[in-house]
Amino acid sequence: MDLVTVKGLSKRYGGIVALSEATFSARAGEVHALLGENGAGKSTFIQILSGAVRHDGGSILVDGQDYRPANPDAAQARGIAAVFQELSLIPDLSVEQNIWFRHEPRTLLRTVNRAEMRRKTLALLDKYNFPALRPDQELRRLTLAERQIVEIAKGLAKDPRILILDEATSALPAREAEWLLKLTRQLAAEGRLVIFISHRMAEVRAIADRLTIFRNGSTIAVHEANAVSDNEIVTQMIGRHLDRLYPERVATATDRIALSVKNFSSGSRLSGVDFALREGEVLGVGGLQGHGQRELFQALFGASKASGTIELWGKPVSIGNPRQALTGKDGIALVPEDRRGQGLLLTKSVRENLTLSVIKRFTENGLLSRQKEAALVKEMVDFLRIKAGTPEQLAGTLSGGNQQKVIFGKMLLTQARVLLLYDPTRGVDVGTKGEIFQLMRDLAARGYAILFHSSDMPELVHVADRVLVMRNGGVAATLEGDRISEAGILRAAMLESEAA
Amino acid sequence: MAIAEQPVEMAQRPAEMKSAKPGIDWRGRALDRAPFLVACLMLALIVAIYGSLQSGVFSLDELNLDTAAALTLMLAATGQTIVLVRGGIDLSIGGMISLGTVIAATRFTDDPSTVALWALAILALGFLIGALNGLLISLLKLQPFLVTLATWSILNGVAMIILPTDGGSVPGWWVSFGYAQLFGLTSPVWMLLALLLFWWWFRATRVGITIQATGSNEKSAFLSGVSITGVNVITYGLSGLFAAGAALFLTTQTGAGSPTIGKDYILPSVAAAVIGGVSLFGGRGHLAGTLIGAFVLTLIGNLVFVLHVSSYWQPVASGVILLLSVLASSVAEKAARGRVQ
Ligand SMILES: Nc1ncnc2c1ncn2[C@@H]1O[C@H](COP(=O)(O)OP(=O)(O)OP(=O)(O)O)[C@@H](O)[C@H]1O
Ligand SMILES: [Mg+2]
Repeated sequence: MDLVTVKGLSKRYGGIVALSEATFSARAGEVHALLGENGAGKSTFIQILSGAVRHDGGSILVDGQDYRPANPDAAQARGIAAVFQELSLIPDLSVEQNIWFRHEPRTLLRTVNRAEMRRKTLALLDKYNFPALRPDQELRRLTLAERQIVEIAKGLAKDPRILILDEATSALPAREAEWLLKLTRQLAAEGRLVIFISHRMAEVRAIADRLTIFRNGSTIAVHEANAVSDNEIVTQMIGRHLDRLYPERVATATDRIALSVKNFSSGSRLSGVDFALREGEVLGVGGLQGHGQRELFQALFGASKASGTIELWGKPVSIGNPRQALTGKDGIALVPEDRRGQGLLLTKSVRENLTLSVIKRFTENGLLSRQKEAALVKEMVDFLRIKAGTPEQLAGTLSGGNQQKVIFGKMLLTQARVLLLYDPTRGVDVGTKGEIFQLMRDLAARGYAILFHSSDMPELVHVADRVLVMRNGGVAATLEGDRISEAGILRAAMLESEAA
Repeated sequence: MAIAEQPVEMAQRPAEMKSAKPGIDWRGRALDRAPFLVACLMLALIVAIYGSLQSGVFSLDELNLDTAAALTLMLAATGQTIVLVRGGIDLSIGGMISLGTVIAATRFTDDPSTVALWALAILALGFLIGALNGLLISLLKLQPFLVTLATWSILNGVAMIILPTDGGSVPGWWVSFGYAQLFGLTSPVWMLLALLLFWWWFRATRVGITIQATGSNEKSAFLSGVSITGVNVITYGLSGLFAAGAALFLTTQTGAGSPTIGKDYILPSVAAAVIGGVSLFGGRGHLAGTLIGAFVLTLIGNLVFVLHVSSYWQPVASGVILLLSVLASSVAEKAARGRVQ
């Protein structure tokens, strides 16, 4: 018998239809992938299942019994736990307090039993071979990847029969993502149902038994994983045929140096980085995660302290606080890793997010030209296919992938021609990924210079002209031409650190 | 089922992630506590100046006196601290304190059982009015500032209706409560210790953690199953309860009721917390800091007195200290953020 059966599920947000008559069914012991483009309704669906949001219409059966959770507690009582795309963690609590939040073991005085909590934490982390985490560390000190892992631990702490993973791999480095995939299979083998959402086809291929495809809030198809091709899946997801994911690589780099970085260091994670990024070039930054890539992007943008020299279009720039100095055509723009923390104002509209930092462009004689603004916003929304009811929809209510698109749009509107893209396709659907890569190549052809990091190695291999491989905070190798391959990057990233 | 029969590879532990280095992050912890340490430093400085100008400052008598002078503010600020940690603010405590003193001054008789009954009634009223604040904030989805501003005004009006001018009285034995001694310490000092004990316990309970968590990130708390309405009811209820307690204690000091006295505690209660390192954005702060802040604000008054300058210098000095504290915590916050993105 099916563990979960969903029929005719509907959910509206004002005029926006998030789900309309969606169906779904899954059994215990399987990994069931849920696929669909950005805004298809996947997260809405799992928010309903996990009690965070209530549906307008339709029925859900769990174990053949009617299920209508009033809140996340009710969902937990029925054995359903979710690892949320936007994470449900408390910044000011420690890792272990987060994992056991509201389920802490207690003493006779009704206070939290710290010793017991520590013991349970270590047992949990050990049972599922979690990557090392410090239980007493405050959450706000963790990187996004570490937070994602804490969120997974929090889900598993409830020992759920149904575990929902909403894009849980998207923020993880390669090795941790692989660990999660194996863990997922292991959980299914224990007889649990895992509902798995991801935009990475290879992952879905590796672990899913069956898959359900959503489009525009409705169920389009259900497949046995081994009876359907990638092409069919993608076509059903985006409703059209996708010719190719990666654009053709045409060399557009000139001899002009856009960004030159010498002896660049920051904190303990970045030491003596040298490289030159040329006009018209897409320069990839790869290597094992945690070897200084994040710090490089943050420090280049001026978000953290650094030393060394930076020249932008041949002119030395102060690296104390480039963020202010470097706006406009000769400036530098960043797509950051943590979109909710750094990139977006969640309680502002799509329009405001796009235009706030470039408000000058719509000002004539000190007056704001609403028409000009509206035209540019519309252009950007259409261009990136941002799925929003109107430009006035709050950014915080967009689907995850659409939030990422807004950040991309915001960066493009700054007109800066040196772009720092840190994992720009994280959480973005396949169709849009292809468009973003094409866009990167088009921008390069128009003389932009792009520094590009991706946690998905094939993206670097297929899109970058050259790849800097980072190791221990420095550049270990620069790969060009035929030497750019996954194996090549891995070799350069690991060889010496293994010898050491 | 076919799926379960596939051989399953056990998930292997991935290589250690970078920041998971062992040991304690001392610098991070010091930065977190910086505002509190700054408050301690300020208090030490003020006590030192005060002690050099006045004899007998370092004595039990002085401790007893100063604590009695500060305790009303401390009680009010305890409730305020809980609300601030929740990420809100409670202006209505001003009205509650006034109302509490006028009810006590008009209803207390010489009969201890009547007093006990009315004292309990005042505390219950404080909790209920606070709970109502919390309910209104949740149900009407209004700013805590606006809702509690409105209840402050209403409570103030009611206090005026009950007792239009300062007056009434409480029995002498009730007043002597405020000076009762045990082991050389007066009841205010014991109550101060009780407050600290309460906090130590409260902060480690699920309710305490849930309030803090909701102040830290409301959306996450909700996704974790927290009832935001429930949290608001309890948070503001406790604040009202402590305000009522402050009113009762205040009557042991003044011996009478006043329909206007409460307003003197609204902003100082927030200031004491902020000086003590409680974040106005919720999620962070401890009562120990608030109590130090309350001492700082009280001793500033003493200092102004022994310096023989106009008493109008007291609010000026309090303001300067508040600014310094805010500056200290924002510097610490920036330093902490510079380290971790
Ligand atoms: N609170 C809300 N208010 C208004 N609209 C909302 C809200 N939450 C979701 N939506 C809308 O519902 C639609 C479905 O969003 P959902 O988050 O379920 O998409 P998704 O399939 O998870 O996409 P992604 O792959 O980008 O995460 C989107 O158009 C989104 O803008
Ligand atoms: Mg989603």
